[in-house]
Amino acid sequence: MKLPESRDTLRLAVVGHTNTGKTSLLRTLTRNPDFGQVQDNPGTTRHVEGARLAINGRQTVELYDTPGLEDGMGLLDYLDQLSPPSQRRDGPDRLAVFLDSPESQGRFEQEARVLRALTDCDAGLYVIDVRDPVLGKHRDELAILALCGRPILPILNFLHSPRQRTEEWRAALSRLGLHAAVEFDSVAPPLDGETQLYDKLALLLDTHAGLLGALKENVLEQRDLRRKDALRLIAELLVDVAALRLTCKPDEASVHAASETLRDQVRVRESTCVRALLERYNFRLEDFAQQSFPLQGERWGMDLFHPQALKDMGIHVGKGMAAGAAAGVTVDLFTAGLSLGAAALTGAIAGGLWQSANRLGKRVIGRVQGYREITVDDAVLRLLAVRQLALLEALQRRGHAALAPIVIDPLASTADLSVASPAGESDESRPELPYRIEGAAGNRLRSGKLPDALAEARSQPGWSSLSADFVEDSPRRDEVVRTLAKWLDY
Amino acid sequence: MRDGGSFKQAWLTETLRVREAYWGQLQDSTEVRRALTEGGTFAQRLILRAEFLGQREKLNEVIEQWTTVAQWALAVMFFVAILAGIGTGLGALGDGVRSVNLLLALATMLGLHAVSLILWLVGMGVQTRENGPWLGRIWLAVTRKLARGPNAGLAPRALIGLLGRNGALRWVLSTVSHLLWLVALISLLGTLLILLSARRYTFNWETTLLSPDAFVALTKSLGWLPQQLGFAIPPDAYIRISDGLHTLPAEMHALWSGWLIGCVLVYGIIPRFIAAGFSAVIARRGVRMASVLDTTLPGYANLRPRLMPASESIAPDASPGPQVHYAATTQSSLSFTGPAVLIGLELASTTTWPPARLPDDVHNGGIIDNRTQRHALLDQLHKQPVERLLIVCDAFQTPDRGILAFVSELAAYAKELRVALVTEPHSTSVETARHIAWRAQLADIGMPAQQLFTALDPALAWLAGASDDKHEAS
Repeated sequence: MKLPESRDTLRLAVVGHTNTGKTSLLRTLTRNPDFGQVQDNPGTTRHVEGARLAINGRQTVELYDTPGLEDGMGLLDYLDQLSPPSQRRDGPDRLAVFLDSPESQGRFEQEARVLRALTDCDAGLYVIDVRDPVLGKHRDELAILALCGRPILPILNFLHSPRQRTEEWRAALSRLGLHAAVEFDSVAPPLDGETQLYDKLALLLDTHAGLLGALKENVLEQRDLRRKDALRLIAELLVDVAALRLTCKPDEASVHAASETLRDQVRVRESTCVRALLERYNFRLEDFAQQSFPLQGERWGMDLFHPQALKDMGIHVGKGMAAGAAAGVTVDLFTAGLSLGAAALTGAIAGGLWQSANRLGKRVIGRVQGYREITVDDAVLRLLAVRQLALLEALQRRGHAALAPIVIDPLASTADLSVASPAGESDESRPELPYRIEGAAGNRLRSGKLPDALAEARSQPGWSSLSADFVEDSPRRDEVVRTLAKWLDY
Repeated sequence: MRDGGSFKQAWLTETLRVREAYWGQLQDSTEVRRALTEGGTFAQRLILRAEFLGQREKLNEVIEQWTTVAQWALAVMFFVAILAGIGTGLGALGDGVRSVNLLLALATMLGLHAVSLILWLVGMGVQTRENGPWLGRIWLAVTRKLARGPNAGLAPRALIGLLGRNGALRWVLSTVSHLLWLVALISLLGTLLILLSARRYTFNWETTLLSPDAFVALTKSLGWLPQQLGFAIPPDAYIRISDGLHTLPAEMHALWSGWLIGCVLVYGIIPRFIAAGFSAVIARRGVRMASVLDTTLPGYANLRPRLMPASESIAPDASPGPQVHYAATTQSSLSFTGPAVLIGLELASTTTWPPARLPDDVHNGGIIDNRTQRHALLDQLHKQPVERLLIVCDAFQTPDRGILAFVSELAAYAKELRVALVTEPHSTSVETARHIAWRAQLADIGMPAQQLFTALDPALAWLAGASDDKHEAS
């Protein structure tokens, strides 16, 4: 880990017209959905509130959320009255006169706070709602902010709106001498949005370039870490579900009851995983409206064991796929993983003769009594994996300012897969709409062969944390989970 | 991402992780806050949290209890090993009445040991990380059976998980197993020495199948290694006649006992000592590796956002300021003589202006965007206040204090002033929210809701002088 060479803190003020999403930007940059107050109303934030960005536990960058500028024109009039242009004072001097004046406590109290904050900071991030036309008031605001003598980096927000006027804004900013601007939608930031922002900021603030570089590296590192953790959580879920085996008497009623138990266990396990993913990405549980299970009849919430859910996610379903009572589960003669092919067998040998021997007695008895064994279908495993990956993708692309619940539209993701459009660019233009799972893992999950890791997990009933005889100290399980996580990572 | 402290800390942290994996996360806000104030790397914070929670939940007591049990179990097993050594020695040499069969004695004393050592060596070659030697396994199993209480199982489970993850468990158990053998063999050697010192034994070999030469060769080859350490080999001629049919001189039996002791030492104690030392060294390294937390484990991942928050709040500068509106004072003495005036505010430069169907007698004030235009308009209105003034405004714009101040300034120069909000064709929920905001903000500067139009046509009709009552702000 590289440490920034200087220990000083970089202070950034987030400024802008009222209701352009300054607090939203802070929420997204700090990954804290609870920062400040966000409302579609003017003057929601009426004080300067800050947040420190930690670089590996070290606090180096401070961001300050400021009230919106609302009365730029009035303030400029007042400034001209306080120190007429004929006096030819420079910006900071004119500002000092204003900050001493009575109106800085009165009519222009909010503006005075913003200007004080910006003067205390090293640079300002000027947030622009690109849905707004470029108006005189914006130019006046920028003129006032320029008085502080601090570099200003415009941040173009709400780029995904159909009524965005990005080009108009870029042209206007250039005319004002602001040539660097960052496109950063705080609700659906581009994946490299933060790094771009810090890169451009480093160009403006070359004395802090080292610090911003470290911050950027940290952002990338954390993103990587989050993804790794998330994939690991998903892999754990899949191993748990793949390994799960319920045993029951051969009569129909018992099989039915056991299938229902199995389904419930898997549903609950899925919701645990969803919750863990949300937590890892620092989103609230409410963000994912359908996080409580079972969710019958809803869209994403389409029950895991409903055949339609599989079709919706574009998972190839074989002819044998049962419906009704036996949907999503496989009922076999009792084998306890003893007849699962060579790959599984080698896994079993490498993985735990000790444990296998432990259970051999139980298995033989079960076999003799003609017990049935119930496992989760491959198709359901695929669905679980695809769904969790889809959620992960959504979380990665979601800004912490987003207020709308996470929507995962399985239908759209299949449609996109079928036209096989190049990944990437179309996504950014419509973040609120469904996106698809990029990369090979999604495709492989839908129709390809399931990874060996899952086949091996199937042969190890003790690997399921849902099972009563879960073997918690199996290094082989650990290895398989890691392999699977890597496999899921495209 | 590995980082951490002592093995004991790692063990405690793992115990807590296992516990939370089973029974769900503990209520830990105080502990997390304390860990946050202490700072450090993620692993250090995890350990701190585990220590605080461990104290609260008495997990360290659980670990200590289990350690005590494990130590006792190990002590008992060592004691049993000593007894076994003595027993084997007594059994191998017998009571001294009968002559000792050399080969059988050797097999009794070293047979099981040799088999288990070879199995262990073979086991090392196979890449399994799961199975330690059975003696070590027994020790673990015994401690798990002995430990009581709801949390007692946690400590060994965590230990096994922790050590098993980087393969150290096998070497720890190997060390335990070799040490047990070593103790048994040493006690065997001691027994041999005592018995051979205190009793008179005679030694012989017996065979039905083999020739005496084979026995000579066997004795010499087995005795070669001990010979290097100074244990003498009986001369060939004497070996040949040690067949129990001849009477041997007493020093010959001393030579044979020396040979036997040499074999136990060289083939029993020394290999076990080396194996124990070797395992101990690797186990130590493994334990040191295990004391470095693996922060990628599932239970830790979800703690990261809380223990290593991406950001930390800084307190606000002051309490939120009041939402004050600047309101211009109305001059009641003005005589409103000017024509009806239409102006545009907050409109994009691309807006079609003036709007179509503009009544003839209405003066078009243009779109007022910058300060110069504002001043010019105010000057003009000051000279000639007007009867009716209509402000057309983009409904999408957020009503801010600046615009409201200007509207209230304009209101001073018009007998009647109205605001019309125009929307672009695609109306979304944002805009209806904006309508509400406009209405509320205008009310704040003293304009009732009737003065706000949400469509252009009725507004233009009003401007042209149509009667007021027909429209109600929709």
